[in-house]
Amino acid sequence: MDTQWPRWEVFKQDTPSKPHQAVGSVHAVDPEHALLTARNVFARRPQAVSMWVARAEDVYAWTKEEILEGLATAKADPSLGTACRYLVFRKTSHKRSMTFVDHVGEVEARTPEEALQQAQARFSDSEALAWWIVPADKVYQSDPSQETVESWFAPARDKTYKQQQYYATVGSHISKHKRWRGVEDEE
Amino acid sequence: MRSEVREALIAKLTALADDEVILAHRNSEWVGHGPILEEDIALANIVQDELGHATLWYGLRQQLDGSDPDQLAFFRDANEYRCCELVELPKGDWAFTMLRQYLFDLYEALWLEAARHSTYPPLAEAVQKIIREERFHLQHTQAWIERLGQGTEESNRRLQQALEMQWSYAQQLFVPIPGEELLIAEGLVPDLAPVKERWLEHSTRHLQAAGLKLPINPGYQPTSRAYHTEHLWSLLAEMQSTARWDAEAKVW
Repeated sequence: MDTQWPRWEVFKQDTPSKPHQAVGSVHAVDPEHALLTARNVFARRPQAVSMWVARAEDVYAWTKEEILEGLATAKADPSLGTACRYLVFRKTSHKRSMTFVDHVGEVEARTPEEALQQAQARFSDSEALAWWIVPADKVYQSDPSQETVESWFAPARDKTYKQQQYYATVGSHISKHKRWRGVEDEE
Repeated sequence: MRSEVREALIAKLTALADDEVILAHRNSEWVGHGPILEEDIALANIVQDELGHATLWYGLRQQLDGSDPDQLAFFRDANEYRCCELVELPKGDWAFTMLRQYLFDLYEALWLEAARHSTYPPLAEAVQKIIREERFHLQHTQAWIERLGQGTEESNRRLQQALEMQWSYAQQLFVPIPGEELLIAEGLVPDLAPVKERWLEHSTRHLQAAGLKLPINPGYQPTSRAYHTEHLWSLLAEMQSTARWDAEAKVW
């Protein structure tokens, strides 16, 4: 029996004017648990106002290279049901280390592949290195009420002791120890 | 402030801080041993928050009598501690730890809500700072109670077993300390009786919804915070060892 809990992708929004960004993933038993866990793992740094989670298996992801290879071609299937909403996320830079894709908007489509085609057409303002497409009904959001935003995200701002830099005086740069060791070696 | 009120306030702040320090230390024993990395981080997060609360309460005491918080935490013996016995109990399994944290979080959240209108401004201010994070702690531990209670037969059994053990210990949270009636009369801290009533109402509803039975036998219920379980001695020996090793140390 596989006892591993499912993996959830976590999207964090730093301020109301910024998009939700993929920051990493957590293991959790259900959406509520995933949000609680995500808050602990990813909102310990000061900025956050909202979080989304989605099961990793509900995320359809393609890189630029995979699209060029034709791996994202929509399968023509007349039996496809009605259109539904998909959230679109896009990666446009290799320079970021803390986040992956940014939320850019949403489209309505019958399949994830169709959603990708629409996303490529609609969000063409800069080159996409990777796309994530997630059915909107598979994305769970943290409670937007003022009280929850306050209790989930506001206190982190005051907790500088939870940041690594706070302890900078205790640690010291490796080079210092190397120099010291060098002196000792010479003796 | 009359001197007997001041003395009672110092004692109350010490009890509040000691509960947080000892519970935080107990839960810190899970670091590196959590059932899953994410929960390990989450519990460590809660521990840091509780230590932050202790720092606030000791800080308020320092304003009154100039005592040094580090001295209080690391150089007092078990007999001088004024924590309740619930927080001293060994961490047990995950169900035991989550239940204790839930019972304590619920008490703390309700007490803080009632203490928001304290007539002592420094206390009212401290309450404003920590009430937000208690709401989040409570959501997290509440979620665990639901999932363990309604999870498997084994998780329910373990949680039920923890409840049989802790229920009567938890009642000590609502036993006033000597002199607390002076503080209540002056509106410095809230009366514990209505807080207990709300705690019983909330916890009973939530625990029963999670498929648990409240213990029928009252069990052992500690009253005085001057007495402790044998577990406090070994906990302090471990917690205080580094500080006592070299009391003058400035850098380590």
